Parts: sequence; structure tokens; C-alpha cells
Amino acid sequence: MRLRTTTAVAAGSALLLLTGCGAADMTKQASPFANAQGAKTVTLSIQSWVGAQANTAVAQYLLEHELGYRVDTVQVDEVPAWDALSQGRVDAILEDWGHPDQEQRYVGDKKTIVRGGDLGVTGHIGWYVPTYFAKQHPDVTEWKNLNKYADQMRTAESGAKGQLMDGSPSYITNDKALVDNLDLDYQVVFAGSEAAQITQIRQFAKEQKPFLTYWYSPQWLFEKVPMTEVKLPAYKEGCDADPEKVACAYPHTPLQKYLNADFAENGGKAAALLKNFKWTTEDQNEVSLMIADQKLTPEEAAKKWVDSHESTWKAWLS
Amino acid sequence: MATLTATAPRTIPGALKQPAVRKLLLLALVAAILVPLANARWASGAWPDALTVDLSEPLARTSDWIIDNRDSHPLFLYFFGHISNAVVLSVRAVYLVLLAAGWAGVTAIAALVAWRVAGVRLALGTAAGFLTCGLLGMWIPTMQTLALMVVAVLASAVVGALLGLAAGLSDRMDRALRPVLDTMQVLPAFAYLLPVVLVFGIGVPAAVLATVVYAAPPMARLTALGLRGADKEVLEAVESLGSTARQRLLTARIPLARKELLLGLNQTIMMALSMAVIASVIGAGGLGDRVYQALASVDVGAALAAGIPIVLLAVVLDRVTAAAGERLGTERKSPVHWAYALAAAVAIAVAGRLAGRLDWPEAWSLNIADPVNRAVDWMTAHLYSGVPVVGGTAEWAGHFTTWVLDPVRDGLQWLPWWSVLLIVAALAWLIGTWHTALTAVLAMAAIGVLGVWQPSLDTLSQVLAAVAVTLVLGFATGIAAARSDRFERALRPVLDVFQTMPQFVYLIPVVALFGVGRAPAVAAAVVYALPAVVRITTQGLRQVDPAALESARSLGATSAQQLRQVQLPLARRSLLLAVNQGVVLVLAVVIIGGLVGGGALGYDVVFGLAQGDLATGLVAGAAIVCLGLMLDRVTQPTERRTKKGA
Amino acid sequence: MSSTTTSSTTSGSAIGTTPVFSVEGLWKVFGPKADRVPADPELAALAPAELRTRTGCTAAVRDVSFDVRKGEVFVVMGLSGSGKSTLVRCLTRLIEPTAGTIAIDGEDVRAMDRTRLRELRRHRAAMVFQHFGLLPHRTVLDNVAYGLEIQGLGKAERRARAAEVVAKVGLEGMEHRRPSQLSGGQRQRVGLARALAVDPEVLLFDEPFSALDPLIRRDMQEEVIRLHREEGRTMVFITHDLSEALKLGDRIALMRDGAVVQLGTPEEIVGSPADDYVREFVRDVPREQVMTVRTAMRAGDCGGPGHPGALAPDEVVADAIRVVARSGAAACVVEDGRCLGVVDHERLLGVVAGTEPHKEAV
Repeated sequence: MRLRTTTAVAAGSALLLLTGCGAADMTKQASPFANAQGAKTVTLSIQSWVGAQANTAVAQYLLEHELGYRVDTVQVDEVPAWDALSQGRVDAILEDWGHPDQEQRYVGDKKTIVRGGDLGVTGHIGWYVPTYFAKQHPDVTEWKNLNKYADQMRTAESGAKGQLMDGSPSYITNDKALVDNLDLDYQVVFAGSEAAQITQIRQFAKEQKPFLTYWYSPQWLFEKVPMTEVKLPAYKEGCDADPEKVACAYPHTPLQKYLNADFAENGGKAAALLKNFKWTTEDQNEVSLMIADQKLTPEEAAKKWVDSHESTWKAWLS
Repeated sequence: MATLTATAPRTIPGALKQPAVRKLLLLALVAAILVPLANARWASGAWPDALTVDLSEPLARTSDWIIDNRDSHPLFLYFFGHISNAVVLSVRAVYLVLLAAGWAGVTAIAALVAWRVAGVRLALGTAAGFLTCGLLGMWIPTMQTLALMVVAVLASAVVGALLGLAAGLSDRMDRALRPVLDTMQVLPAFAYLLPVVLVFGIGVPAAVLATVVYAAPPMARLTALGLRGADKEVLEAVESLGSTARQRLLTARIPLARKELLLGLNQTIMMALSMAVIASVIGAGGLGDRVYQALASVDVGAALAAGIPIVLLAVVLDRVTAAAGERLGTERKSPVHWAYALAAAVAIAVAGRLAGRLDWPEAWSLNIADPVNRAVDWMTAHLYSGVPVVGGTAEWAGHFTTWVLDPVRDGLQWLPWWSVLLIVAALAWLIGTWHTALTAVLAMAAIGVLGVWQPSLDTLSQVLAAVAVTLVLGFATGIAAARSDRFERALRPVLDVFQTMPQFVYLIPVVALFGVGRAPAVAAAVVYALPAVVRITTQGLRQVDPAALESARSLGATSAQQLRQVQLPLARRSLLLAVNQGVVLVLAVVIIGGLVGGGALGYDVVFGLAQGDLATGLVAGAAIVCLGLMLDRVTQPTERRTKKGA
Repeated sequence: MSSTTTSSTTSGSAIGTTPVFSVEGLWKVFGPKADRVPADPELAALAPAELRTRTGCTAAVRDVSFDVRKGEVFVVMGLSGSGKSTLVRCLTRLIEPTAGTIAIDGEDVRAMDRTRLRELRRHRAAMVFQHFGLLPHRTVLDNVAYGLEIQGLGKAERRARAAEVVAKVGLEGMEHRRPSQLSGGQRQRVGLARALAVDPEVLLFDEPFSALDPLIRRDMQEEVIRLHREEGRTMVFITHDLSEALKLGDRIALMRDGAVVQLGTPEEIVGSPADDYVREFVRDVPREQVMTVRTAMRAGDCGGPGHPGALAPDEVVADAIRVVARSGAAACVVEDGRCLGVVDHERLLGVVAGTEPHKEAV
């Protein structure tokens, strides 16, 4: 009995102690691994696709070798990354494909995130078939004819229907609704990660099999497996407003950078560099290809690019 | 055989006396009344829509509310905020200490501790383990994981010990806690991630708390077990000397339970480590994050470079705590050695500091990624498809999907919903009590109510297929290992490594081999569950009463007869336990299989995490909980309740 | 049994008359609503099997009464399940009795509050257990000192006292071993030392030697006899071994199904069994080792003031046979210089054969 009361009192006083010493805003707590040993640390969000890894690799290389920062990278999916960015657990996202809800919430209302400007790359999502197949069957590039080829696109996973392969669950996709609303005889199969999807695409390409996949540009894979986009009903402003009723193509999106508000203000040279960071689709693809296809480490790939494009990045440092 | 005495032909009343037959008849009676009723109202194969509750709206609102109020509401400012703050500060403190000690210091101190508690061989192993981590270029991530682990394990041990103390001392607490702890033990790690993310957001605090929630139950269970299992006569003797309750607790009950306490600590460490890796999905950082990143780019080499330190950490921690447990009660060595060794370790750390070698020198690194990737490329190029006669792994995966996974899934989804409930009830009741049957049926019904009937059956079909494969392979290997000492010795390190390898690491090679889809998820699950099944089978067969075996041998039974008629029947309980463990472990990995195209519930959880769509994720998480509960109850022999070891 | 209790005043003059423990109408019933069983005369009279089917209760101790006198070795003996272990635990309320009274030195044990009860356990009654009940994580010395530690004694003092007791039970040089490094007999010496260390008024033994090898058991029995001779401490000794009971006991309470079927000196139990159960029990006892000359003698005159080759009345028959056989004639029995009677061949053989007439001379 006495033991129980003692524990109760102890627990109570511990709680009091915790709550008594004031408020603790956990949205302002940085990563415990940041700024260790007095080193200035920048934490970058690294997304799962290679293009984003290329951005991060080059930024990391420059921050470490030109400005003397220590860089931590954390892999966070797109939407949670906004939350992490807002809390300061991540300092910057270098490639965002458009999340109007999140932007409204954090940039507009809470003001914990600020825009970091254009990345310089324009992104586009679409449905693709391999070019070798499109050459044999030119009409496959029109969505109305897709049902004709459903049989040829069948796999074990998709069963009786044709397979439309999607990537990571973190990617923006309307494909399930599209298949329903356009009345297509296809089954959406989620590869679970981009790498798994790429592996599968390359295996198909090796055997010259037909396939239909969700894909996006810029993407280095086009260099390896040429693919042709299938035309979906044209995109009009607002046609994708209701995710259940979408029946149109994906838009072309200028990719954006976002910075944590505190970091943007107090981040010194690092923040300035990340704000100025802007390159082209070709630049990004060059680095991506080195990472993904030549299996260079991101650091080696970044070094190669930095060595050969001094004029481009010198401008970011000023 | 002498044992084959003729049994009298059973008459009908005789059959009725069989409890199994009675239970089935009763169940059939209940079904005969309820099924037509249910069928008349909600005639559909799948779970009727009328019986579902849509939780996505309220959940989405809750999630929005939390995000909007996280920086302003007092609950967050004055409670969760402090918890989060404490976690961040303590992880940071440990991390800074580890960095300040430098790689030489950390290695020296770890080896010293291992030497004192476990002997010279383990000390050398520990040092080699840490140096390998550095050599693989993973020093900093290893330290991050270690820092997180230290905090999480301490917190789990304290929380678990307190809960265990409560359950060990009070019968009422025990009755209340035990089912909860038992259930938590069987749930896949993935199911724990979402609720903490909901409250704490992505990051280290969420990761640490998820780890604590996951790792505390074994400590609590073993603490309670140790306190309750203490030698009654010793306690009586202590009481007969006129001790107070407090004296009894401090001088007898807790010291008597120290073996269980250490075993609990050991299990907590192992579970914390596996969770610390999985928690990289919610921003734990460290080694797990490296594996996760490698998974995203199917970079087997990089994954292995990060996976090896995890395995090394796991093996070192496991061996050292296990050895500490075994050494209990033997003579202590003099503390003077400690002093010398400590001085040596500090000297090494200081030397490292003075030499400016705190960070692992970059020149000393071994790039294993390239050769491994080349090997994997070769493997995928040569094994993936078109291998003469046997076909490629991709073809196997395809055939497995078409001929096994699809029929099982379609069959399950074709079954009317009430018949699924009936089957669950019958299985659970036959193997357990009406209590377990009720729990199992309610869990299954809850899945329907949550509106995820179809994806859950999809997941279930993967679990069933994987369990079948696991059991066939596991029993075969287990029997072989039980019959040959040499084979068992050769197998042991392999099992050790596979058991400590984080679940994530399996996913990458299987994608490379089996492509994308449900087949690789099943393959990863089989690989993960196999060691436990093999181990339990071997142990069960080896523990069969030697007298029974001897008597069979004296009657001239062949070794096949011995196995079939003596060993397997006598090891029945172990085999059932193996099935139960197999099911639980398979479920854990099939869920993670969502990351490689396994779809169903696992995909929903990953989707929920990835898109911040906590409504989808939480509902799927709850369904996983129910599925785990149901599967555990359906395969849980009643004996397990009474005789539960670790 | 009441008939035999009255006749047990013969056992030695060294034993005083104040009862250390006085037990009256003690019941311990396990099961639901155990209280009603002793209270209801009808239930109380039921046979164990019937009681169980009627009420679901088991009476481990049924209406037991006895006194333990100062300085005696009181043995409770019975087969397993007879309730003897429960009985001894009731004495210090390690098991809470259901009904009846227990008094220690006249103080009501059942009325004691927790502090008082703890006092009782700490200083007045210490127990030795069948499986020793040692703390495996402590050394021999710390195990022996444990009772003193509980009492709050300082480390140095309790260790010094423990060391004395360790020497007394013959464990010198093993002070720093752990129980797991000792043999069974040595462990029980530690258990005995632990009980002795608190210098209790009564020692309670719960089948202390039944887990030991026969040879070790005999050593330990000798040890207990020696301790009793040296210190004269009151002992309550539980055993299922009849020869142990006869060897150690000043008086023996024989239990069956929770009740005491006979209480008396070893000689009374062997010589005049209260019922068939006891008779069956003692049938194989070597009677000449238990029965005394007092039982065997007949009235008679020693023939003169000198008593050559006289026997004391407490001597066992086996010794008398030796004397009578050597002299070839009847021997006289003398106590305090007074002639009580004589024993001859016939009487001694009668005792050995179990055909002697019931005691006539007391």
C-alpha cells in the first residue's frame, strides 16, 4: 500500500516538474543529431527518386566542400517532409512537385516555411509505353485505344486485366481514379518504390515486352529505355480538383524549393546557397544518370558534375 | 509396433464425448441459426457495407486538428512537448558523448564492458564489430543508431520494469496487463508507427517512442514472470524471518528475478534494435535510414554496408547481455581490474582526441557496395529469367503468384463473409478455448467493420501462402538439424544472422530476384520467419523424452518410425508453437512487403505514412492489429497460456 | 486421543510445564467461504471427500489442540497431505488459520497486529525449511545474517554474529560460498544457522531433512540432537519419517487427514497405539529401541538395598536385554535409589513381540 502511494506521489511530482517548468513547443525542436561538435549542420530532406537525390548530392557537396558545413540527409516522404520542414527537423526541400494544401497550411497560415524559388526544372507526370512498342502499334499512344492492348499488358499481378504500373506510394497519382473514370480495362499495380519500378521496367525492356507505366520527366531512365507518352484527355486548370472524379492528364509543374523559415533567416551562407540553387533538366539528368546507372555514389557523381560546371555553381555562392 | 493397439470402433455417443466434435456441433448449431438470418439481410460475398463504419472523416479531422494545434494547444505545449524535448535532449546528449569519445574511445569502452561482463572472446568480437562498422564507412550512422538505442532501451527497461513490477505484485494488475502485453507482443512493428507519428510528427522523438512502445512489453512480461516465478519457499523463508513487504521486494523478490530481468533486457534490446531500423520510415535516422535509402534505389551493396553494422550491433549486444545473464551468481572478480581497464580505455579515448582522430579516418574504408552490386547484377542477369530447365526466379515468382497467391486470395474473397468468421471461430475453438475463439471472431469482424475486408483478405492470403512455405521448409530443416549435430552446428550462425537482420534488409535482394509484387513480399516473409521455426522445431524434437525414444528403439523401430511415431507426436506442443511464431513473424514482414509491391494493408500503411494520410494508415494499422490478434488466437494452443517461457 | 494425552507426564523431569505454544481447536480450511466449515458442526463432522463434494473446501487442519512445552522437542508426524506442514505454518501465521486459538507464552497469536507478528517472527520463532529457502545470490555468511539484517542490525555486528553461528553448525571456511556451491546437507546447515542466528525462543522445522541422502540425514539428526542437548531450545519438528520422529521427539503428534489421531511419547505411540491406523503405522518399528524398561518391568522386589546391575526406568528395552542376557537373571529397575520393579526374560520378550500386557506399573 505504502509502495503504491509513494509511486503515485513520485509520478505526480514528476508530471508537475515536467509541466511546471513551462511550455515546450515541439514544433521548434531540431534533430538531435544536428550541429554536433560545434559543426554547422544543414539537414536536407532526400526524397526517394534519383532526380531529387541528384539535387541533394550537389547541394551537399557544395555545402561541405565550399562552405564547410556538415550535412545530414534524412529520407522523408513528400508530405511528411513538409511537416518535418515546418518543425525544423529538416532545413530544406529542394524539389517539390506541388502540394497546394501543405503550401497553404505552412507557408500561408503558419509561416514556418518560406518559398525557396524555382529549381529550374519542370516536371511532368504521365503514362508511358516503351517506344519500341509504340513504333509497332502507333495507336497505343491514344488513351482511347488502350483497352485494345490490355491483353498484351497482362502480368501475374494484374490477373485478367492489363497492368498499369505505379511507383512509390508517396508519389502524386490519380491513376486509380483515371482507370475508373476512363473505363479502362487495367489494374493499377503499385511497385512500392521507384527503384523497384525501374528494375521492373528494365527487365521488361530487356525482353522487349510491352508495358504501361506511370512515369515522369525529367528522368534519366528515358536515356536507357526510350518511352513514349500516352495522350490522356488534356489538362485544364482545376480538372483535377476532385480526386475521385479526375479524368484528365497531369499538369506541367515548375519544381519548387522550400526552406524552413528560421533557417532561411539565420542560415547564413548555406541558406543563401540553397536559395540560389537553380539548374537545368539536363544538369539534373547528368547527375542522376551517374548515380543510378553508373552506380557512382552520390558524392562521386556530385564531384564530377561540380568539377565540370564551375560557372554554374559559382553563381550560386555569391 | 507395440503402440498400435486396436482402438474400439467409436459409437456415436462416444464421438460426442470428444470435445472437438462437441465444439464443432455446437458451432454448427449456432451457424445454422445465425447464417440464414445474416444472409437474408446482407447477402453479399464480401463484408456488407451496411455493417461498416467509415472512420476516415473523423480521423482526417483529428489529424488536421493535431497538426494545426501542435504548436499552440496546452496538451502539446505542456505534455507531449516536454516528452519530445526530453527525448531530443537525451538522444543528443548520448550522441555528443559518443562523438566526444571518438571511434577509438567508443570501441575501447565497448570492448572493456564486454570483457568485464562476458570475457575476452566477446571483448575481441565487440572490438572487431565496432571497427567493422567504421571500416564500412558507417561510423556516424552507427553512433546515431547507438545513441537512439541507448535512450530507447533505457526508457523501455524502466517502463517495462515498472509495469512488470506492478503485474508481478498485484494479481489485479496482472490480469489487466497480461492480455495487453501478450497482444502487443504479436503485433507487427509497422502498426505502432502511425499513432506516434500522429502525435509527434516525423522525427527522432516519434521513432524513440515507437521503439519504447514496441520494446517495453518483453521487459514487463519477463519482470512479472520473474517476480511471480520466484521460489515460493525462499519467499516463505524470508517472510518467516519477519521481513516487511519492502524488505521482501528489495532483498528477495527482485534479486531472485534477476535472470528474468536480464533476459527481459536482452529481448528489449533486440526488439528496440529491430524497431530502431523500421522507425527510419518515420525519421529515426542512423543505420536504418541508410538501409531505407538503399531500398529506395535497390542498391543491395549500400543496403548491406548499412545492414552489416546493424547485425553486428545486434549480435554483440545479444551475446554480451546473454553472457551477463549466465555469469550471474558466479564469483565477482576484483574491482581493481575494472580500474585498470577503465584507465586504459580513457587513455585510448584521450589519445584519439589528442591525435585529432575523433572521426573515423576516411582513408580506412572498405567499399563493399561495388562488388556486392556486381554480384547481384550477375545474379539478376543470370537467375532472373531464362535459366534452362528450372526457369528464372522471375518465372517462379510469376507462377507462384498465378497458381498459389491468386487462387488463395480469390478463394478467400469469394467466401461469404460469415463463413470466414465461422472458419475462424472453428479453428480458434478447436485449438483453444471459447475465449480465444470469441476474441478471434471479434477481431475478424472488426476488420469488416473498419471497411478493409478485401485488402485484409488479400494480406491474409499472402500470410497463408508464406506460412505454408515457411512450415514446409522449416519443419524439414528442423528435422534434419535435430537428427544431425553437425548440420545443426553449421546452421546455428546462419540462423543467428538471419534472426538479427532487420526485416528491411531482406526486401532488397528479393526485389532484385523476384521483381515487384506479392511474391517478393512472401519470399522476404519466409526468409524472416524461417529461423524461428527451424529453431523451435529442432529444440522441440531434441527435448523429446529420451526414455520414450529409447523404448521405441528397443522395440526395433526404424529411425523414420521413431520420428513419425514418437518424436513428432511428443514434440506436438513445440510444433504448434512454431506454427504460431511463424504466423506472427510472417505477418510482420508481409506488411513491410507493402514497400515492394505487396499491396493490401501494408501498402495502405506505407501510403498513409508517405502521403500524411493518417486516416488510411490508421485504419489499415488497426486492421493489421486485428489480423495479428486473430492469427495469433487461431494458432495459439491453450497450453501456451500456462507454460510461457520467454 | 484425549485418553493418551493425560498419560504423557512421564517424559523427563528437565522439561518445564509452561507451554510455549498452546494450540486449541485449530482449523485451516482451504476453499470458498472456508469460515463456515468449522462453525457448522455438521460440516465439521464430514469426512474429507464428502466435505469436498459438498462445499468444495479442503480441511488441511481439523480441530487440532496441543501444547508445546518449554525445552521439549515436539514432533508432528504424518504422511504427505496430512496437514502437518500447514499446521506448522499456522503457528506463525505464514498461513492464516481459519478458526481456533494459538498462544505463544500465553499471548494470542491470532490477535497480533502486523508489527507484533513481525516481532514474533523476528525474535521468537524461526523456521527451517524442507528445500532450505536460501537466497541464491547471497553468500553463506550473508544468508545466515539475513534474519539479523531484516531486524536492522548493522553490517559488522550481524556478520560477526553470523560467523559464530556458522562455526556452530560446522561450516567454517565456507562463509563466502554461494548456496549453489554447497551440498544438500551443507545447505540445510546454512538454513539451520540462519534460524539459529536470530536466537529464537522456538525453532520450527518443516521436514528439514527429507530432501537429503540417508547418511547425511542421520548426521543432521545427530546435529539437531546435539544442539538441543547444548542449548535446550524448544523445537517443533515436522516429519513424515517415523524413525526420525521416534529418534528426535520428546512427544509426537501423529496426524491423519488434518486431525491429530494420537499424541504421546514415542513409547506410548508404539506401545499403545490409539487405533488401527496408528498400529499399522508403527508395526515395523523395532520396539526394543523405543520401549523403555518402565513399560517392561513388573512389580517385584530387588531383594536388598544394593542393586547390582540395576537398570534405570528410561533405558530402552534393547539395553535391558543385554544386561539380562549377560547376568542370566532378572534385573531390577531403580530410580533415585528406589526400587521400582524388575524385568526378566519373559517381560522383555513380550515387549519385543508386542504381546506385553498394557502398562500396569506407572
